[in-house]
Amino acid sequence: MANDAALNAPAAPWRHVAALRNPWLLAGLALLTLLGLWSATGTTPVAVALLWKWLPSLLRGLLVNIEISVLAVALGTLVGLVVGALLLSPSKPVQRLARLYVQAFRNVPLLVLIYFTTYVFPFEVHIGPWSFAFPDWLKVVLGLALPTSANVAEIFRGAIQSIPSAQWEAAQSLAFRRREILRLIVLPQCLRRMLPPWMNLYASITMSTSLASLVGVHDVVDMAQIASNTVVRTDFTILVYFTLLALFFAYCYPIARATRALERRHERH
Amino acid sequence: MSDSLLVPGVQALKGLGLNYAFVLDDMERQAFVRGLGVSLQLCLLTIPASLAVGVLLAALLSSGRAWLAAPARAFVEVTRNTPTLVQLYCAFLVLNMLITQQLRDWGAGPNPLTPFLWVVIVVSLHKGVFHAEALRAGIESVPHTTLEAARSLGFSRRQLLARVQLPLAVRFALPSLVNNLVDLVKMTAVASAIAVGDVTYQSIMIWTQRDNVLELLLLILLWFGLLTGLVSLAGRWLEQRLRMPGYGQ
Repeated sequence: MANDAALNAPAAPWRHVAALRNPWLLAGLALLTLLGLWSATGTTPVAVALLWKWLPSLLRGLLVNIEISVLAVALGTLVGLVVGALLLSPSKPVQRLARLYVQAFRNVPLLVLIYFTTYVFPFEVHIGPWSFAFPDWLKVVLGLALPTSANVAEIFRGAIQSIPSAQWEAAQSLAFRRREILRLIVLPQCLRRMLPPWMNLYASITMSTSLASLVGVHDVVDMAQIASNTVVRTDFTILVYFTLLALFFAYCYPIARATRALERRHERH
Repeated sequence: MSDSLLVPGVQALKGLGLNYAFVLDDMERQAFVRGLGVSLQLCLLTIPASLAVGVLLAALLSSGRAWLAAPARAFVEVTRNTPTLVQLYCAFLVLNMLITQQLRDWGAGPNPLTPFLWVVIVVSLHKGVFHAEALRAGIESVPHTTLEAARSLGFSRRQLLARVQLPLAVRFALPSLVNNLVDLVKMTAVASAIAVGDVTYQSIMIWTQRDNVLELLLLILLWFGLLTGLVSLAGRWLEQRLRMPGYGQ
């Protein structure tokens, strides 16, 4: 025990310094200190005070973006896995049809797809005696789910094909059935390989949700524009748009970091 | 195109339930064709500009000097992890406003930066970041043994870079560069957000009058399909031309 303490003693201050050298932590601490100083001395700049007032609305807007992205990616993943399976189908016409779907939706500008789903779908759906409202944000979800499904299909196909065929043969020689090989051997490995590109896709779809503001969804970008047009102050406009940038960065950068960490871990295996 | 050719065409498509009557209206047809031209111009300007940004950033990132690499790294991270639309707003609504105000204060006349130029700048910087990542990966994937072999043959550092490392790196990076360029072509549609008259914007103007969204979207998709097709064709041609025995398939 005494030895452990002696060994750990020099490590502790070093770790302390390393934490201080983390640029994100430093920036956060500096910001907190500045805010504390302002509120303590009562010299908060007007623009910052206004931003503080608008921040809850901005965050509520960001929640809309996150909801759209989660729903779109969930839906896109479900459809994409089916399409991905069709891409690997032994039947040539089915394969060609799935290929066409993937090619088409990967090569369309996202903005154009969002316009498409917004203007082509009706604003109300009638099923028998019931009618449901079909809000704009749901149309954006559909517009983003289509390219997501095409990309997930490609990711799935790539992952399945990256498993060496020798594994299939080895499993067959051990008397596994096709379904068992898929379930017990191929899919578990695929899931691991699919995770990093899928996370990348999620981050990019999250960023694309900002396009929803162009078709009238009250998301965070729309909220920032409303705030800027309501307050009409140069310094506030600067602050609110760069806050917008910071909000998206704060949400997407950790995802990117986690993806890279996962990729690095897989490389080592 | 003469009306004698357009009228039967529009009639035929009407039979299919597609309303392309706008092409018979001179104003709307010209606006749409102008939109096609603006989208093409955007692509033709942003492709070389983004490649230049990519080369510059890749040089900074792999320079080995921390004071050059760290700001470049930060720029790359921020650009990769924020939406293009928000970047465009930050540039056009904030920077452009500040520049306009500053010029007015100095009495230097109107702001020379048009929305069109801002789209070129922002999209070039955005995609340049992705090019830089591709080029950096290409530079890193040049085998050490090749570089050592070249050094042992008496290549200087500069020769090594110009004759061995960069030619190989560009070949390794080419597929992802072409991929990025296809993305870039699709990304130019974002120009419509700040009222640059590209094909998307002109189409919105037309369909708010005529309610023919599907018809115009088909045309937009055809146009973007053509442009992305040309880019990937050019990419494949370049890959064929630059192919070296022993590398790639």
